[in-house]
Formats: sequence, structure tokens, C-alpha cells
Amino acid sequence: MVTPRRRLLSAACFLVAVLVPARLAAQFLLVPMDDEQRNHLKAYGLTYNAIKDGLRAEWFLNYRGGSFLLPDVADVRRRAGLDGVTVEPLSASRLGAIRAEIAGGNMDAIPLEKAPRVAIYTPPNAPPWDDAVTLALRYAGIEYATVFDEEVVRGDLSKYDWLHLHHEDFTGQFSKFHIAYRGAPWFIQQVQSAQSMAQRLGFPNPPALKKAVGERMRQYVENGGFLFAMCGATETLELAMAGFDVDIAGNFADGTPVDGNADAKLRWQRSFAFTNAHLEQSPFVNAQSDIDGHQVNVPGRRQPLGTFTLFSFSAKFDPVETILVQNHRTVIPDFYGVTTSFMRRVLKPGVSVLAEEEGAPWTKYLHGNYGKGSWTYLGGHDPEDPQHGIGNPPTDLSLHPNSPGYRLILNNVLFPAAKKKPLKT
Amino acid sequence: MRSRRARSRGLAIPLLLLGAAVAQAQQSGAEQRGLLLEQDDKYREAAAAYREALTQAPGSVMAMLGLERVYAQLGWPDSLLPVLDKSIAAAPREPAFRAVQIRTLRSLGLTDRVHQAFERWTRDMPGDAAPYREYARLLLQDGQLRTADSVLQRARTRLGTGRGLELEQAQLRAAMGEWALSAASWYQALERAPYLEQAAVLSLVATPVEMRPAVRRDLLAAGGNVAARRVLAALELHWGAPQEAWLVLRDLPRDTATFTAWREFARRAEEAEAWSVVRVALEALLRETPSADLALRAARASLQGDDPAAALELVRQAERGLDSAQAAVRILPTRLEALAALGRADEAQRVLDAYASHLTPELHRRHRAIVAWAWVRAGNVAQARALLGTDSTSEASEVNGWLALYSGDLAGARATLRVRGRTTPELVTALALLARTKADTSAATGRAFLTLARGDTLRAATAFEEAAAALEDARTLLLAVAARLHAAARDDARAVRLWSELATTFAEAPEAPEANLEWARALRRAGKHSDAVARLEHLILTYPNSALVPQARRELDLARGAIPRAS
Repeated sequence: MVTPRRRLLSAACFLVAVLVPARLAAQFLLVPMDDEQRNHLKAYGLTYNAIKDGLRAEWFLNYRGGSFLLPDVADVRRRAGLDGVTVEPLSASRLGAIRAEIAGGNMDAIPLEKAPRVAIYTPPNAPPWDDAVTLALRYAGIEYATVFDEEVVRGDLSKYDWLHLHHEDFTGQFSKFHIAYRGAPWFIQQVQSAQSMAQRLGFPNPPALKKAVGERMRQYVENGGFLFAMCGATETLELAMAGFDVDIAGNFADGTPVDGNADAKLRWQRSFAFTNAHLEQSPFVNAQSDIDGHQVNVPGRRQPLGTFTLFSFSAKFDPVETILVQNHRTVIPDFYGVTTSFMRRVLKPGVSVLAEEEGAPWTKYLHGNYGKGSWTYLGGHDPEDPQHGIGNPPTDLSLHPNSPGYRLILNNVLFPAAKKKPLKT
Repeated sequence: MRSRRARSRGLAIPLLLLGAAVAQAQQSGAEQRGLLLEQDDKYREAAAAYREALTQAPGSVMAMLGLERVYAQLGWPDSLLPVLDKSIAAAPREPAFRAVQIRTLRSLGLTDRVHQAFERWTRDMPGDAAPYREYARLLLQDGQLRTADSVLQRARTRLGTGRGLELEQAQLRAAMGEWALSAASWYQALERAPYLEQAAVLSLVATPVEMRPAVRRDLLAAGGNVAARRVLAALELHWGAPQEAWLVLRDLPRDTATFTAWREFARRAEEAEAWSVVRVALEALLRETPSADLALRAARASLQGDDPAAALELVRQAERGLDSAQAAVRILPTRLEALAALGRADEAQRVLDAYASHLTPELHRRHRAIVAWAWVRAGNVAQARALLGTDSTSEASEVNGWLALYSGDLAGARATLRVRGRTTPELVTALALLARTKADTSAATGRAFLTLARGDTLRAATAFEEAAAALEDARTLLLAVAARLHAAARDDARAVRLWSELATTFAEAPEAPEANLEWARALRRAGKHSDAVARLEHLILTYPNSALVPQARRELDLARGAIPRAS
């Protein structure tokens, strides 16, 4: 007589017999991210879309430039073929050997669980080619939504896991472009639409609106959001948060001069990254503060471009920082932006410096936690257009499929997909 | 009677002059010796000679520059510093010594002392641009753009003008990506030093597309700066705008400088193979300075630019003033080529006959081959063949190969057609066909190639379709040729019909990847982006090893909007 216990055992044996061979036979695809990779940027899109489709993926930190592991399924192979992404089939035994190698070195395997919902803060009708992150996402095939002041003030940020800001001026001073472009039609239109947006949303002027928007972003990070900012958005968001109740905008922007005692009144405990910076009060100097080391638009202060070096972190103990610097190059040519770099002397204690120019007083790439969320700042406008000027043609990323600078941006996009692992200490 | 004192004074002056002459001779002797030793690579000895010259005359610039060179060779630049100090004390207003000093300090990596030397120089010569110029140059070479910028700004403030610093200003602005400011500075620099043209072109050639209008505006600023216009013309050629390049130069005042500029422009345009513009420029020059050589060059440009009628007119101009013997040698080949391209075979034959007495037998045979082409172009293959007869020279063989092909004799063509010198798309297609098919004859194929040779693209496309039906083993190749011709005639509908047939019915053919790509491009032109995407995906996945896959991926990115369309 077959007892229930015996039946259960038989069933279990059957399951093992069926499933184990299947598991053993399973194949994987390694997406190498070292110099073997033909298209690094689209490799991120391949991985993102695999996760979005419900497939399990892993990020092999520091293994061959930060490779990805994907299941070997027809759709992944098809997409890799279409995009020209190099993939290497792996047997389970080879995968086991790789895992052993990862376990023994400064490497780690991080599961990628859920494709983050991505939002880009950009004015309505802005061309997609005006922003390095948008360029990267479109090229890689990663979907995103756009939000602007109205959506932010309405509270829509909570719908997204990841928010990107580019060269918006959160002090509401239009990047002080009135100095050089006050007669340019595009500038006049930008000012008019900002004034009308402020009016529509119940704010007296653009600086007041932008401060409110900056405050929403601070709350977004505090509540667990991931914020990634580049170019002028980094510096001006900090100024807007620290100067929430101080007049930091010039007469040309809000009709009143900057508070002469603004430096002393700034509350840096409200900001993410910087402290004790000096606000540039002159309306005739095209700089916001002394946070930026390069001061690209200030003749006489402008610093030349060099190269910046990515730091190396412990993959097992500092996985977040390690994720953000995954690359096949460690030294990368610098590139200008309205804000190009961040002076070391104004960094808050506890901010992680991810990249710096050796021997220079500035840093390039920063990360930190705030509340339940985190933020990352990357100075500069476009990694493949180092001297970017207004009116320059957009960067064609099909000519830069292996761009190490753009990889830094895409590391940030995938970062929220990583499953948090308990630290081993 | 003159006093003794007066006599001795009278003697002293000639003695002083004699002493100065002797010192000068000794100094020159030491310098000359230094130069000769330097030329013989005897740097230690040359250094001693230059030092001797400087001991005798601390203000000798030539000796100081020589010493700078040989100390650099010996790796002793620091030894120059004490010598420089003495010379500067002796001749504090000599800019060459100051320039050598800051160069030497810089080569030693003594940055602070470079700056101090520069400051001393500005103090000693307060109204002079030279210190700012030399220091800014060094800073630019070292990539210290910000410091160079502040030095030049200071110069403008202190001197009250930027004169004498335009070159450095222009180079700095270009290095900083401030293209319009750079162009404005180059304009000023070129007014004073037209020989900087090449430097200006090199500096501005990297101007991004969007900034070029500003550069154009600044280089065309009011005033007749011919050098600036020549720079802009060269830039336009580099930027792929030959027509605009000519417009920049066209309206200059008619003088020798302008004619030189036109001549140089025509040469550059020839290098760029911008034939229609070459012709226009040469014709303008011809009106001002008529010559047979210019007319002939313009005629060749017209022929290269597919305008044989204009070439013929220019040939007539070139012929004026030449006797028959000269014309036979210099003008005849171009005239015959123009007539052949126009299909005026009778006239070509008459011209050849008229000049026959002035031609060597070899030249006559060569020109006869051109006339045979004229008959082909006129559609009379039999007459072409009769003209060549049994001629077995290489020119005749080439024409005979084509004649065999035109008459459908594929075996004859296969035996004769070869790549001789310049290849043409027609030759490549013919050789590919002859390699693909095993057939020895095909009248339809011959007709198709003959129609193409006669310049009738539309009929040729149809003829190649008919040939494809007749020649089974080269069918896909001939269909692809027909499709390309339809596309060249801007008949997308007929081209797409053929590309789609090739892509779907003949998916294994070598032409299938090209057919998919061209079909997708046509779909994108018609605004059918999703259909284009599907076609491109099919191409990439079905033919992953095709050489066309990179192009297909780029088209795919464009169709998906993944990269900017303007690029």
C-alpha cells in the first residue's frame, strides 16, 4: 500500500527528475561590457527591456567592465542582434565558474529586479536632443515620461522611481543668459513661457515657482526617490533648496535685487551635496555661485578641460558607488556645461566622490543619500560634445556607441533596478 | 697752426671708428664660426663661439638665438639664463632676448619665473604688445587657455588696443570654441598678415555647422580683405559647399590679387572635384586674362562635370590663336571627347580626319577609339566596330570589349573587358555580370548595356528588367541594376517593385540584403516608418554577416527616432 507520505516523496522525486535536467540545460547570455562589447550604450537598453519584460537579470559588478547576465531567450537574442549588442552564450557550468571568480575578487553579482519608471524634467515641446540623458535613453531604447513644473507642483513625481534634471536653472534666473542672449527670440520666448507658467500655477514670478519645484524634488528624494542631475541643474537645485526662504534671484528675474546678506541666510542643511558656497550676486557675471570649478561662461575665471578619473570601490561593501562607476575606461575626457564640476571645499561631509580630476580642486561626479532616497550629480552637459555651445547640432550617439561618459548616465538609469542586498558587515 | 690737442682729437675719432669696426668684424667672425660649427653638429664648439660673440657684443640677437638652439641640442637650457641676464641688462628694450628668456624658463618648467619675467618685460616696455603676445603664445601651446585669455584681456586694457595680438586672440577663441570671435580676430590678423591664411583655415575648419553662419558673417565683414575671403572660400570647400565658396570670391574687385585668389580657388576646387564650380571660376578668369591653357582647363572641368556642350564651346575658345599642329596636340582629344559624349559621331569623324595629317599613327589610333565611342553613343555599334577594324592596341581592345557586350557576345566581352586604369560603375557592373553568368550570348543584355551607354537611364532600366527575364543565372543582378537605375531616375515606385521582388522572391540571392535596405529607405522616404523598421529588422536578423548591417542599424535608429534626423 502506498502511503500519503510515500506518494508525496514520489511526487517530489518526479519533480526533481523533471526540473533538475531542465535547470542544468538552461543557458544564459553574458553581455560583456569590456572592450569586447560593440555597443555599450544599447547593452543597457537590452538589459532594461529584459527586466521590463519580466526576465531576471544580474549585474556583474567589476566583472568585464560591469557585465550583465540575461536568460538566453529568443527575444533577448533578437534584440541584441538588431542593436548590435555583443552577447556570449553561457552554459550553467561556465556560469558557475564565473560566479566563483566573482566571489573571489572585488566583484559582486547584483540581481536586477524591476525596470524603474523613469521621468525626465524638461519643458513641454523641448526637442529631445537638448539633453544628454534623453539622447542616451532614446538611443538605448529605454522608455521614459517627461514632467515639468505643472506635473511636479501637482505631485506627480511619486509616480516615478527615477527623476532626471538637466540644465534647468532652479534659481529662476534663466541661467543668466540675459547677459548674452537677451535679444535672442528663443530666450525671449523662454522667459515669457516661464512667466506665464508661474502665473498659471499661482506664483508671483519664475524664481518663486522654481523654488517650489525644487522643494518638491527635495521631498521626492526624502521619500525614497532616485534623483540624477547634470549640468546647471545640480548647482541651481542646491541653491534653490538652501535659499528656499531667501531672495537669491536678481532684479531681472523677480523685480527685486538679491538679498545682500544671502550668503549668511542660506540654509545648507536643506540641500543634498553642498555647504557654505558663495552666491554670485552680480547680474553681470554669468555664474550662480562658487560651487562650479570651471566657470565656463565667465571670462577670466574659465578653467580649461582636463580628464577625470573614476574611483574604484569595494563591490561587496559599497555596491551603490560601484554600480555608478561601472565602465570600460577609468579616465574620461572632461566636458563643459553651465556647471562643469563641483569644488571639493563646498562638499558636505559624507558625500561620495565618484570621480575627480587629479590634482584639481574640483570633483566631477557625486553621490549621496538623503532621507529614504538618493541623488547623483554629474557635472557637464554632453560627454561627447565637450565644448557644447548654444545652437550646436545634437550629438549622434550612433557615432559614439562605446562612449564611457554616456555609460555613467546609463549606470544611473539601471541603478534603481538593483535589488538591495544586506551588507556583509 | 693746429694745436697738439686738436691733432690728437682728430686722430682719436678715426681710431675709435677703427676699433668699432674691428670689434664688429670679430663679433661677426665668432657668429659665423658658431653657425658653421652648428651646421656641422659641433654643438659644444658652436656654443663657445656664440658665447664669445656675446661677450664681445652682449646685444647680438643672432648670437643669442644661436646659443639658444645649441644649448637646446646639448640639453643645457639652464646655462642660457645667466647669459640672458647680461644681454637683457645691456639691451633692455630688445624683445628677442625677453622672448628667449620666457621660452627658456618655460622649457625648464619654472612657471613662477616665467610669469615674473613676463611681468618685468611689461614693466620695462609698457606700451609694447610683444610681452603679451609671446607669453600668450606659450600659454596657448601649453593649453592654458584661461590664463592666456586673462593675459590678452590685460593687454587690451593696458595698451588700449588689441592690435598686434589678433593672431593669438584668434587662436585662443578657436581653442575655446568661440568661433565667431575667433573669425573676427582672424579677419583683423589677416589684414596685417595675409600669409596667415593657411593657419586661419586650419583654426576655423572645425567650426560646428550651427556656428558657421556667424563665422561667414565675420569673415565677410565690410572692407576688401581678400585674404579673409580666400580663407572663407577655402573653409566653404572644406565644408562641402563649393558653390558658396565661389560666391565669396566672385565679386571681388578685378585686380591681380583677385585673379591670384581665383586661380588658387580653382586649383583647390579641382582637388575637391567640384567640377561645375571649377568651370565657373576658370571662365571668370578667362574673361579677364584669356589664354588657351585656361580655356582648355575649363573645358576639361566641364567634361568632368558632365557638361560636354559647355566643354565644346570652351574648346573653340582654346583653339583660337593656335595653329593646326598645336591644336591637334593640345585641343583635339578634349574636343573629340566632348563630341563623343554628345553622340555627334559624324562630326567627331570629320574633325579627326581634318587633323589626321598632324597626328602620329599612335595618337591617331588613340583618337579613333574616342570616335568609336561617339558611334556607340550614337547607337551605331556596327560603325564603331568598322572604325576599329583589326586594331589590337589596348585602347581598341577596351572599346572592342564593350562592343562585344553591346552586341550580346558575352563570351567575347568576357575575354576582352578588363580593368585598365580608372574603373567606372558600368565596368564594375559588366564584370560582375560576366563573372556571374555562364551564358555566352544574350542580345537583351547587350541592348540594356548599350542603352545605358547612350545615357538613356529610363529606357536602360526597362531594358535591364527585360534582360533579367532572359538571363536566368544573372537575373537578380540585372534586376538590382534596373532597380538602381529607377531609383537614380527618382522613380521610387518602380524601384520598390523590383527591390521588394528581390527581397521576397529571391531571398537567397547576393542582392537580397541590398534590396531590403533600399526598400526600407524608400519606405522611410514615404513616411512608412513602421514598415521600414520591419524591413530593416528582417535584414539585420536574416543577413547578420552582410556588410550592409551597420548601415541598416543606422537606418533603424533613424526610423525609430533613436538618433537625431538632422545628423
